[in-house]
Amino acid sequence: MKKNVLRVEGISVSYGPIQALDDVSIEVDEGEIVSLVGANGAGKTSLLRAIMGLQKVHTGRIVFMGNDITNTSTDKVAGSGIGLIPEGHLVFSTMTVLENLQVGGYHYPQEVSSSLESVFESFPVLYKRRNQIAGTLSGGEQQMLSIGRTLMSKPKLLMADEPSLGLAPKVISEIFNILRDLNEKGYPILLAEQNAKKALEFGDHAYVMETGRVLFQGPAKELMGNPKVRHAYLGGNV
Amino acid sequence: MEIFVAQLLNGLSLGSIYVLLVLGFNLMLVVAKIIQFAYPHLVVLSMYVCWGMLKYTNNMFLVVLASIVSCVIVNVAIEPIFRALSKKHGLDINVSFVVSISIALLITDVMSHALNYGFPIAFPTDWVGKSVLNFGLITFSVGQAYALIGGIAAVALFFYLLYRTRQGRVFRALSENSVLASIIGIPVVKTRILSYAIAGLLGGVTAVLFARLLGSASPSLGDFVAMKVVAVSILAGLGNLKGGLVCGLLLGIAESLAMGYLPGSWSNAIAFMMILIIMLIKPEGLFGIQI
Repeated sequence: MKKNVLRVEGISVSYGPIQALDDVSIEVDEGEIVSLVGANGAGKTSLLRAIMGLQKVHTGRIVFMGNDITNTSTDKVAGSGIGLIPEGHLVFSTMTVLENLQVGGYHYPQEVSSSLESVFESFPVLYKRRNQIAGTLSGGEQQMLSIGRTLMSKPKLLMADEPSLGLAPKVISEIFNILRDLNEKGYPILLAEQNAKKALEFGDHAYVMETGRVLFQGPAKELMGNPKVRHAYLGGNV
Repeated sequence: MEIFVAQLLNGLSLGSIYVLLVLGFNLMLVVAKIIQFAYPHLVVLSMYVCWGMLKYTNNMFLVVLASIVSCVIVNVAIEPIFRALSKKHGLDINVSFVVSISIALLITDVMSHALNYGFPIAFPTDWVGKSVLNFGLITFSVGQAYALIGGIAAVALFFYLLYRTRQGRVFRALSENSVLASIIGIPVVKTRILSYAIAGLLGGVTAVLFARLLGSASPSLGDFVAMKVVAVSILAGLGNLKGGLVCGLLLGIAESLAMGYLPGSWSNAIAFMMILIIMLIKPEGLFGIQI
């Protein structure tokens, strides 16, 4: 049996009077890719934000590597080993590529140079552009920098929020290949993705969300064959 | 020509004090997202600490240390007030402005009631010292030399810290995007407190240099300087550190030249007139807002 990495147990989150998450439970096991599928506003980002401590959780709890991290401050969640690749290929745009990676290693100052080496090995383009201001990179390169910066923090779980958003199709498959490679290297991945087809193809396990609830869950292949899921998220007879 | 050179030197040493004050002010502005109007008042308070210390000891090291320690302590002690007012990611900058004005008034009142019976304080004459340079009309006092050289050294160290060290990268990351900074593991509150401490350290050094330049201080000095610090910061573009460096020096030079060439004390009017005109032409400041 695989070891559990992340377990979210029945959490609820609301923004004022609006309930963003209602009794949501998910699990991520070692070595696994888990996809969160759902339309814009289904609660995927809210779930990632709640795990990250960016959003207050009212009920339920979040357990990471056996520790309760419910409502822990964001920097501590990051320090404990959850690496979020945020939506919109976010980088520190006034800093250089190298500086972006260096601050990513905040919790491991002694190991910055060795981490840098392995990130540059995985992303030769970042090495080529290391002294360039990050704001001048292309969208795809910024997404790679965002992934590389997250790897600098030696995460035990990677969470990617809409990694394909705003990128060209060719770049999107490149980013997904990178995430696939990272998973093969052993990183468990929790992926939030609007493109249901892509997310179901990519994931081992998937959760289909709608208006803050988990509607369906199961092995991604099975969900792909589920007529209801096909009808609602894969455009009928795909 | 001699007057020009003399006033240029005056302006540079006065300007380097403005630069130091603007840097500390801007550091807290970009990292902690507050307008700390009372920062120059704290520096003046530390000048009082220097003055008090000088009664007991002539040991320069101890005096500087006392100035730095007092400025760091008071500045860091103020931080929880701003934190209490702030939401999770960001404080309304206007609120911080009003609150810091209240703190400034409080400090000014303490100085004008409780310290030296409210009278201006005078530093020993050897603090300002004799002229080290004498060419006709051009004179350059030891105090001015200290302000200029100490100012350059402190500014260089400050920029080294910010652009060449790990902590500097953390400050800059936090100033650009506090949410992203916390996502990658930077402790926001702790880093902000550190920015207050660094600004306090800079303020303590500035207090000593300012005392050596002026040779005196008074309770109203804080208000007087704070106006200019805020004005320079806005003029350069709020939070723009490099812009603050240039504009701080420019203000010092402009004031001194006005003092040298115009009758009476028109230096303030000149400085603020200049700021008014520039703001009308470039509302985002000369170098652009960076917060």
